[in-house]
Amino acid sequence: MKWQFSNDAPIYTQLIEQIKVGIVVGAFPPGERLPSVRDLATEAGVNPNTMQRALAELERDGLVFSQRTAGRFVTEDKTMIEKAKRGLAERHIKTFLAAMLRLGYQPEDIVTLLRQETSEEESANGGSGM
Amino acid sequence: MLRKLMKHEFRATGRIMLPLFLILLVTSVGANFSTRGLLETDSKILDILGVLLVAAFAIAIASVCVMSMVVMIQRFYKNLLQDEGYVMMTLPVSVHQHIWSKLIVSAVWFALTLVVVCLACFIMAFDVGFLHQIAAGFQELFQEICRNLSAYYAFNGTAVVAEFLVTCFVGCCAMCLQFYAALAIGHSFANHKMAWSVLWFFLIQFAVQFLGGMGIVLLDESWFHHLLLGWTDNISGMASMHLGMFAVILGEVVYSAIFYFLTTYFLKKHLNLE
Amino acid sequence: MAVLECKALTKNYGHTAALDGVDFAIEPGRIVGLLGPNGSGKTTLIKLANGLLTPTGGEILVCGMAPGKETHALVSYLPERTSIPTWMTTTQLLDFYQDFYADFRRDAAEEMLAHLNIPARQHIKQMSKGTREKVQLIVTMSRAAKLYLLDEPIGGVDPATRDYILSTIIGNYDPEAAVVISTHLISDVEKVLDDVIFINQGRVMLQSSVDQIREEKGMSVDELFREVFKC
Repeated sequence: MKWQFSNDAPIYTQLIEQIKVGIVVGAFPPGERLPSVRDLATEAGVNPNTMQRALAELERDGLVFSQRTAGRFVTEDKTMIEKAKRGLAERHIKTFLAAMLRLGYQPEDIVTLLRQETSEEESANGGSGM
Repeated sequence: MLRKLMKHEFRATGRIMLPLFLILLVTSVGANFSTRGLLETDSKILDILGVLLVAAFAIAIASVCVMSMVVMIQRFYKNLLQDEGYVMMTLPVSVHQHIWSKLIVSAVWFALTLVVVCLACFIMAFDVGFLHQIAAGFQELFQEICRNLSAYYAFNGTAVVAEFLVTCFVGCCAMCLQFYAALAIGHSFANHKMAWSVLWFFLIQFAVQFLGGMGIVLLDESWFHHLLLGWTDNISGMASMHLGMFAVILGEVVYSAIFYFLTTYFLKKHLNLE
Repeated sequence: MAVLECKALTKNYGHTAALDGVDFAIEPGRIVGLLGPNGSGKTTLIKLANGLLTPTGGEILVCGMAPGKETHALVSYLPERTSIPTWMTTTQLLDFYQDFYADFRRDAAEEMLAHLNIPARQHIKQMSKGTREKVQLIVTMSRAAKLYLLDEPIGGVDPATRDYILSTIIGNYDPEAAVVISTHLISDVEKVLDDVIFINQGRVMLQSSVDQIREEKGMSVDELFREVFKC
């Protein structure tokens, strides 16, 4: 997994987001054990306390759960993961929309543009022999 | 902890001193060959070789003596006051232990240097006819003196030798501590640390001589002098000699104690590593 | 109890004040960045904590004790300049640390040395400057100390080594111990830190947690530092 951090948000919130992405895309599969806090922190190059905080937050949301001795696991609840995926998508859309509105596009123009863009991509993909 | 400090101190100094001792012993063997025959041959080359071997021996003796001194100063300076000081002065040991380890190890090397130099001289002179004769002559002379002295002054040879050795040993320690004190004071300055150290060494030297001279002048006519005269009038020459030796040793101990105090004080309170 | 505590700490060199009434406390389990421009008093502070200097006023306490041989056993110190005895071989250096520090983990040190391909029998004198720095960092981090004082640990090293050093610090994290990293290369260490202490001209300008700064100011510590210390 590749970890990247921006300057404008607290590191633990960025960690939460990136672990969520990891769970959604299956880098951390459902029901699997997560690496230890120290290993995750070393991998991401962040402070172990910050990593701990991020995981605690994810645990409160129910995406991961801990077993007293065995460590932390990814939830097996698929709907929960689906919900997290939806949440991430909504966030991306919100930032996208905000950026488009700033450029002066109206919501209906944005939809049209999106449709155009996605159909172009589809035809491009089709052309490459899907 | 003192034991561990000394262990590493011996490791650090031994790697310089032991090879030097070895070289000295090797050159003494060479000098032995040389005096045993090389110098008396007709061959020019062997003659020159003989001279070179003797010269090498002389240089080796000188360099061993000088190096034991240099190592003593350099270990204190490099190990405690330069970069290595960051590691050494943050070890869980006290300043006292640092100074004692340096002092004891230096004193041991001084003593060993003396032993090895004697050994080397012995090797050099081993089985050489004319030197043997000279030595025998000296021995005879010495025995004669001893006989006379013991006859007249109840000379206790062992005691005086022991006192002499103690004087030398404490003297070495005092000298070490004088160097340590000068370095410790000099290195408490922000700049030109080495220049300050040298200056302080001579200042201390001057102060000691000045005070010593003043002391003698002042004591000359004091009650103490009369007291001493009164004492020494009533004791034998030998006893006054022992008394004198003890006075010298006591003086050296006081001298050492002052420098020990100065060194610890400056290392504790005014350490100023670059 | 605080691992490192300064109370109205002052240090003068002659008439110039290197530290002027510094107050702060560092709790166990924290990784703290001591950040400030060159000459701000960072090294002076760390030297005081190591007993290499004596305070002019106020006090500095390590685990409740004034610096001395008892605290030296608790503090693992990486000086800003390489200071391990260069005549030793790596093995002799490990012997040395093992002899003096009860908390020295020789196996950890050997593992790290092997990881970096540093030969055990090579004399430190024969190593490059960078390798010497790594060796000293390894012996420093191989102790299970209560307080690590790292003075410019990433100052003169290449980016790959910098990453290695930082991951070593993270990998050795101990909730009972505190780590103080003094540096001016903030963007590199920011992710590793819990808290930061900004210090300038001998005074503490700011003490805060990294996440708090990012949350409240909406900028990284590096950006905040540039703003605070703008020339």
